[in-house]
Amino acid sequence: MAMAIIFKAVNYTYQPNTPFEQQALENISAEIPTGSYTALIGHTGSGKSTFLQHLNGLLRPTSGVIHVGKQIITPETKNKQLGELRKHVGIVFQFPEAQLFEETVIKDIAFAPKNFGKTEEEAETIARRMAQQVGLDDELLSKSPFELSGGQMRRVAIAGILAMEPEILVLDEPTAGLDPQGRLEIMEMFKRLKEEQNLTVVLVTHQMDDVAKYADNVIVLEKGKQIASGTPSEIFAQPNWLVEHHLALPKAGEFALEFEKKTGYKFATLPLTEVSLARQIASLLHGGGVHHG
Amino acid sequence: MGKVLLGRYVPGDSIVHRMDPRAKLILSFFFIVIIFLANNWQSYVLLFALTIGSILAARVNFAFFIKGVRPLIWLILFTVLLQIFFSSGGTVFWRWGPFNLSYYGLINGAYVFCRFVLIIFMSTLLTLTTAPLAIADALEKLMMPLKKIKVPVYEISLMLSIALRFVPTLMDETAKIMNAQRSRGVNFGEGSIMQQIKAVVPLLVPLFVSSFNRAEDLATAMEARGYRGGEGRTKYRVHYWQTGDTAGCAVFVIVLIILLFLRHW
Repeated sequence: MAMAIIFKAVNYTYQPNTPFEQQALENISAEIPTGSYTALIGHTGSGKSTFLQHLNGLLRPTSGVIHVGKQIITPETKNKQLGELRKHVGIVFQFPEAQLFEETVIKDIAFAPKNFGKTEEEAETIARRMAQQVGLDDELLSKSPFELSGGQMRRVAIAGILAMEPEILVLDEPTAGLDPQGRLEIMEMFKRLKEEQNLTVVLVTHQMDDVAKYADNVIVLEKGKQIASGTPSEIFAQPNWLVEHHLALPKAGEFALEFEKKTGYKFATLPLTEVSLARQIASLLHGGGVHHG
Repeated sequence: MGKVLLGRYVPGDSIVHRMDPRAKLILSFFFIVIIFLANNWQSYVLLFALTIGSILAARVNFAFFIKGVRPLIWLILFTVLLQIFFSSGGTVFWRWGPFNLSYYGLINGAYVFCRFVLIIFMSTLLTLTTAPLAIADALEKLMMPLKKIKVPVYEISLMLSIALRFVPTLMDETAKIMNAQRSRGVNFGEGSIMQQIKAVVPLLVPLFVSSFNRAEDLATAMEARGYRGGEGRTKYRVHYWQTGDTAGCAVFVIVLIILLFLRHW
């Protein structure tokens, strides 16, 4: 099923008509194509979280229209109509281990599919499969989620969302607070899942390295407005613009810029990932010396 | 979540904001007591003038006060209706079984309504212009004499400060967990009573867990920074009683005197 997400002139205001009124999204028109891996970047308070909560109808726009697949969300959409949408859009919130509550790990993972109409047995089968996907040992499944380590709890929470078998997977800083190894494992797992199941992934992150490495589409928000969108190489093409908006380059890109400054060499295209950086430098070493400028 | 106005502080820099929280606390209580002395329309006009005057001095948007009344409107109307239909005296306009609509009933109803509105306005003014922690500080200071009779004043005020401090945190947390569970297919506030009770479990368990974790962290952080009980502890924010506070008290006392005068008009 095609599940493109289209925002048309979406505004969202918190507590409208009160002294605490605050406009969180301002005239956002964006498109997240089916099967894309879209990164949403911007500072704290730029409206990323508000944007995310529109994707499964937790928030409805104050004005404007959102299409998610066949579902249309307008300010008038009723809560009842959104149940179907939530089945298709899985959101892994920041620090999702805070949502664990069941007696056992397996029950917690099976919670969402049961809510969405699967029988007890079906839900458990899915839960076992998802536990395996995220790399949880079988012996953990009958334990209480509160006995696990932080990293394991994170995996349980993620498995709990994957168990909904969503077509759109929304990740809000899914690796925040994890060690580098856990970070890499989880990001690689999402990449694998996306390819295997042809998911649409929306990733909110401050890790520009992850943006460069995994995303094929980037949306940049600033103070509730969309200030840029495009492929990572388009977004990272202008270092000055990034500095102006307090955004960083991926580490490989920074290294490459520094390299250019020190050596006078100009890269044909600025490498953004370690792999492309290594390749370009390798071909440079093989192809000819560094030109001093 | 953000609809709760009770205890919401709006920072500002007016005479009322700058007053000593002790003065504000005392005057709020004082006001609630003297309201019960008012017994004719002149005295209510006086109290309204005092309230409006205080609100103007605080330079806070009047919409806040209307909003403060709104959640209590049903309670107010219920009490007012009781007054109207169950008090007798004066001309009776209408009678049906135990109910009767009399002149006194109407007057009493109007007075009760005014009392409610005035009390809500004044207490809203206190919480709008005074940071919660300042109120806790003021309470601690005012309760100090109770130490003599072994009331654990420091502990009470610490509990109060911590509770106040964590209300917004807990509300944020609740909103977050509700969102997470709604995304997992929980419908809050829908379905039969049984279903609704069941829907609370996935909300309450995480809230309890995070509150306990937070309490532990807080205790560790306090100990790490050398907290050893309140005895002999100095304050970061020290409140000084200033001329403005005395003047404020004077205004209220004058109002009390006029009020006593008006009572026997």
